[in-house]
Amino acid sequence: MEKIKSENYLINERIRWFIKLRWLAILGIVGAVYIADKIIAIPLPALRLYGVAVFLVIYNTFFSFLVFKPQAKTSKGLVWTNSIAHAQIALDLLSLAFLIHFSGGIENPFIFYFIFHMIIASILLSRRGAFLQATYAIFLFLFLVFLEYQGYIAHYCLKPVVPYCLHKETFYIFSVSVVFISTLYIAVYMASSISKQLKERERNLEKANKLLNEKDRIKSEYVLRVTHDIKEDLSTIQSCIEPVTEGITGQLNEKQLNLLQRAKKRSKSLIFYVNALLGITKMKLDKKFKTENFSFPQLIQDITENITPRARNKNIEFTVDVDSSIQRIEGVRVYIQESILNILANAIKYTPKGGKVSLKLTDKENSFLIKIEDNGIGIPEDELEYVFDEFYRAQNAREQEKLGTGLGLAIAKQVIERHKGKIWVESKKGEGTIFYIELPKQI
Amino acid sequence: MAKILIIDDDPDLIESMRVVLESKGYEVISAESGEEGLEKQKKQKPDLIVLDVMMPKMDGFETARAIKKTGNNTPVLMLTAIKDKMGLDFKNSAGDPDWLPVDDYCEKPLDKGSLIAKIEKLLSSS
Repeated sequence: MEKIKSENYLINERIRWFIKLRWLAILGIVGAVYIADKIIAIPLPALRLYGVAVFLVIYNTFFSFLVFKPQAKTSKGLVWTNSIAHAQIALDLLSLAFLIHFSGGIENPFIFYFIFHMIIASILLSRRGAFLQATYAIFLFLFLVFLEYQGYIAHYCLKPVVPYCLHKETFYIFSVSVVFISTLYIAVYMASSISKQLKERERNLEKANKLLNEKDRIKSEYVLRVTHDIKEDLSTIQSCIEPVTEGITGQLNEKQLNLLQRAKKRSKSLIFYVNALLGITKMKLDKKFKTENFSFPQLIQDITENITPRARNKNIEFTVDVDSSIQRIEGVRVYIQESILNILANAIKYTPKGGKVSLKLTDKENSFLIKIEDNGIGIPEDELEYVFDEFYRAQNAREQEKLGTGLGLAIAKQVIERHKGKIWVESKKGEGTIFYIELPKQI
Repeated sequence: MAKILIIDDDPDLIESMRVVLESKGYEVISAESGEEGLEKQKKQKPDLIVLDVMMPKMDGFETARAIKKTGNNTPVLMLTAIKDKMGLDFKNSAGDPDWLPVDDYCEKPLDKGSLIAKIEKLLSSS
């Protein structure tokens, strides 16, 4: 089912492109007729040619309406899309036959424009469908030539471009027809071969992509299990160390206490790491994403209360600015809170004492923009693109702080993208960093 | 002093809690499975039960329900590593499939201070 749907979607996309192309073609026709009529002054039935252009406008409008309707994308099946493609190509060929007829018939070198439709048919339709359209085009062409040859319909000579009327020259008609017919069939053969290969490749890519996603899921489940088990043991280790360090089991000497405190600190940082890994992995596996409606200023308030003491410890000036119009937001509160906290905690961590960190929340038309700025150590330019990667830590960050998970920004990115928002960063090494988060008002 | 029953499949964790709780003067008894815990709470009548969620065979949820079904109103403090920020919705009415008759919970890794505070609070209100 999935395959058909996406194939259908692709054909739909191409039909849209085809419709846009037709608008251009109509402009081209009108322009060419105008030049032929007014500038080169070829005696052509210009009104009838414009009439064909009007016919094109009418059915292109009709197809636009059918295809660009919002529900058209998914509601109809492959058969419906195919019929639309067939109908458009058939109408185009008919229009082209009329255009050719009104502008010199077999003398008109534009007869080779039929090839374009053969290529489009090969892309949009099955190989059989494309050959069917080629046969139809050939029938139209031969029928037209025959009617003009027999004098059943008028022939419009192309004088002075072509000095003689050629529509009764049997040998000329024969040779042009042979070349025309073979050209169309060969064009369809070549184009549909390439198109078939491309379609196959698309299918294979899709399959490979599915497989990769599945493998990624298995990997995440594995990570989840392992981290969960590690966390259990770590928690117990911590619970055992703690009473001893606090002297509950009796007084410790300075050396014992020193080592135990180191062990405690490291187990704590490992738990923090494991928790971060658990968090990001759980989110990856969490298919349902339950959002709630909550007060955004309240969230910022909570975050501020969390960050202010840390800022004060380093004598960093921390300012918060929230647009007064901002009220509520739709999303997963704990996730958004964690993301903003992660970035702010980084800002504090990597800004020297006495520096500045600011959080600014602006109300945009359809979104909220969160700007977190610091004048800290910054991120080297060549590392900017990696900072959202899992486990990545910039060189200067590692030099300054040995401990760190490299997961904070990866979590933030994951959270923001799950909310259909955007997160990006601007930074200059040694000058500071600005993180931007844009969260849409409607998810 | 009050008697506390710890039910947890991790003997090391029990031991660490025992040290802490005994230092506060509580009497500590322990069980390493839900079944054993049920037996001990019937026989030894603890004043409070500290109960782990994740246990093989009979887990904390089942154990808590089984305890309350006997009509016993001993307060239960649940230890959990899964009721993290994600919010595991504990329902408090009997009959609900998610019914979890516990009085409070503590997150793992355990914070000694809040563990003791919660125990004191539950004991003083019961």
